Amino acid sequence: MSRVHTVLGPIAAEELGLVAVHEHIGYGMPGSELDTQWWKTPEQRYGETVPKLRQFAEYSRGYGGATFVDATGICNGRDVDYYQSLSAKTGVHIVAATGFVGGDTALRFFAEASVDYLMRQFVHEITVGIGNTGGKAGIIKVGVSRGFRMKELDLRIYRAAARAALLTGVPIFTHLAVDVEPALAVFAEEGLPLDRVLFGHADDGVSQGKVNEEAILGGGGRIGFDTFGYDLELPDPPFWGRHRRERLEHFLRLIGEGHLDQVLASADANCSPLGWPGVEGHTVNYIYEQLIPDLRQEGIDEATIHRVFVTNPAEFLTLTTN
Amino acid sequence: MLKDPTAPHHPQARGGPLQRGHAHTVLGPVPADSLGVVAVHEALLSVVPGAEHGYDISMDRADIFEVLAAKLRAFKAAGGGTVVDSTGMFHGRDVPLLENLSRATGVHVVASTGMGPEENLGGYFLTPQTNPPTPWPAEKFADLFGREVTEGMVVPRVERRGAAGLVATTGTRGGLTPTDESLFRGAARAAVATGVPVSIRYGADAVAELELVLAEGLPADRVVVGDLDRAGAVAAGWPAAVAERGAYVAIDHVGRNDDDAFVRDADRAALVAELVAAGHAHRVLLSGNAVGVAKGHAPYELPYAHALTAFAPLLAARGVGDADIQQILVANPRDLLAVR
Ligand SMILES: [Zn+2]
Repeated sequence: MSRVHTVLGPIAAEELGLVAVHEHIGYGMPGSELDTQWWKTPEQRYGETVPKLRQFAEYSRGYGGATFVDATGICNGRDVDYYQSLSAKTGVHIVAATGFVGGDTALRFFAEASVDYLMRQFVHEITVGIGNTGGKAGIIKVGVSRGFRMKELDLRIYRAAARAALLTGVPIFTHLAVDVEPALAVFAEEGLPLDRVLFGHADDGVSQGKVNEEAILGGGGRIGFDTFGYDLELPDPPFWGRHRRERLEHFLRLIGEGHLDQVLASADANCSPLGWPGVEGHTVNYIYEQLIPDLRQEGIDEATIHRVFVTNPAEFLTLTTN
Repeated sequence: MLKDPTAPHHPQARGGPLQRGHAHTVLGPVPADSLGVVAVHEALLSVVPGAEHGYDISMDRADIFEVLAAKLRAFKAAGGGTVVDSTGMFHGRDVPLLENLSRATGVHVVASTGMGPEENLGGYFLTPQTNPPTPWPAEKFADLFGREVTEGMVVPRVERRGAAGLVATTGTRGGLTPTDESLFRGAARAAVATGVPVSIRYGADAVAELELVLAEGLPADRVVVGDLDRAGAVAAGWPAAVAERGAYVAIDHVGRNDDDAFVRDADRAALVAELVAAGHAHRVLLSGNAVGVAKGHAPYELPYAHALTAFAPLLAARGVGDADIQQILVANPRDLLAVR
């Protein structure tokens, strides 16, 4: 049976349709909720979010569904009952994550927790539900703290995630693919096949030259071009931005080298950011409005586009236990 | 339509013009001489940051309310008047809960702003989304804490409520980190700007850390230094040194007699008697650091009235007069908490 956990319950992978595999309804660093400069009324949050999701659903009609994988970890403003209402009202499938964006977004309670506790936290959120919402996580988020070096807490989270993934069958996606060797060692030690891991943000501007693509791809891992749209051509690009052309060529190169089955793409956009200004005009719909047209322009056929946005993510998100 | 997310829902309960001679309670300003016996360093609901998301942590609000209300009623029945929740803004503080507890029990509750030590902070303050991720400086903490007095305490992402009555921060035990230092300086600046007092639970050196906040232009009698009944503090003579500098000395773990990091009650009583004999009765504060409800850390069941019911008699037995005991339990916290 092929199943994927969405916030409204399990669905067959065949129903996912087009998948935006790394997105955010709203992301904020822990503690940003104390700073009123970022506050929005519920009216504003829904107002900024619903039209984007409805547009995403509309664009996705031909694919038989629209799926939004939310990469917001515990303590980062993850808000599952809100996601449930958004999903129910817009028809977009939303997959919520357990885990942490990186050790530096785990608050003290979790920063001091053991691998075993963290694993139980993730397993609980995958098999029982997140908080009181009943919504189950469909993926585990892990990541590298600021500074581009894997820290002890980051690795503790990676190890707990690997164990929880083996127990429950959900996949893992990472924030950043830099300093990947310690992560690869943890996954090998825990016996997690690397096709259950999406090494994310391999395409961002600040990671270039720091991602060991050979090790990731050679080991069977999946590689994330999931910051599409954070282009240096924007009027006020974020520090992780990159020239659009350069990112696209990088992506096409990996496809050309025969890694089509291992690439995934997304926009990492915030529908309504929670603790930072966000990037004006950048939404999940970049996939339809810029990226897919760019790919077609480069002569990429529909079967390949389908592979990147439908088949690959469906295989990745399907609960897989051995 | 509500445009401003911080717009008042309950105008009477929000931060606002300061009333001198009054203390900020969660239900609004109260004349400081009506606070009665004050437990100045306590916790009502205490949540280790993040614990509310723990899969095995129950956050049953009715249960939490019932436990806290019973403890506040017991405090009142024993002669207590005011509990200061000195946990700051990011350790489980829930302002509407505190308001309703105060209403239901008749005990004044003073809530605090502030944060610390560094390990209790969220990544927003430590690794912000800037390049490089520079931790927050004192200036920004001063603004964050100050607004919790002048505009009201936050219910995260929902609204502001009443004014904070104290800025509370804590240092890392091994010594202040650079961010701890920013927190201490920011707390002091917020106090200078708003007239509420500052509480510092010292990290490694009570006197040096007191000097750090005084260097921001804060008068010494607007500062309470906590944790001065730690064994190391007593051995170093810091309680007397802090009193001589003009700040309040919090002997704030009364009732804690099974922890080698602290002196025992008999030693605490001797210490307070010495301070009184040296003319420092007007600088001593007593408290228990009791935890009403603990989430994510070990419970610490101590009645809020412990200093009043169990410890004050030890002082009397040491010859501390009734006037001095009243000074310590009532007049000192009154003077501290009255906004200037
Ligand atoms: Zn992201």
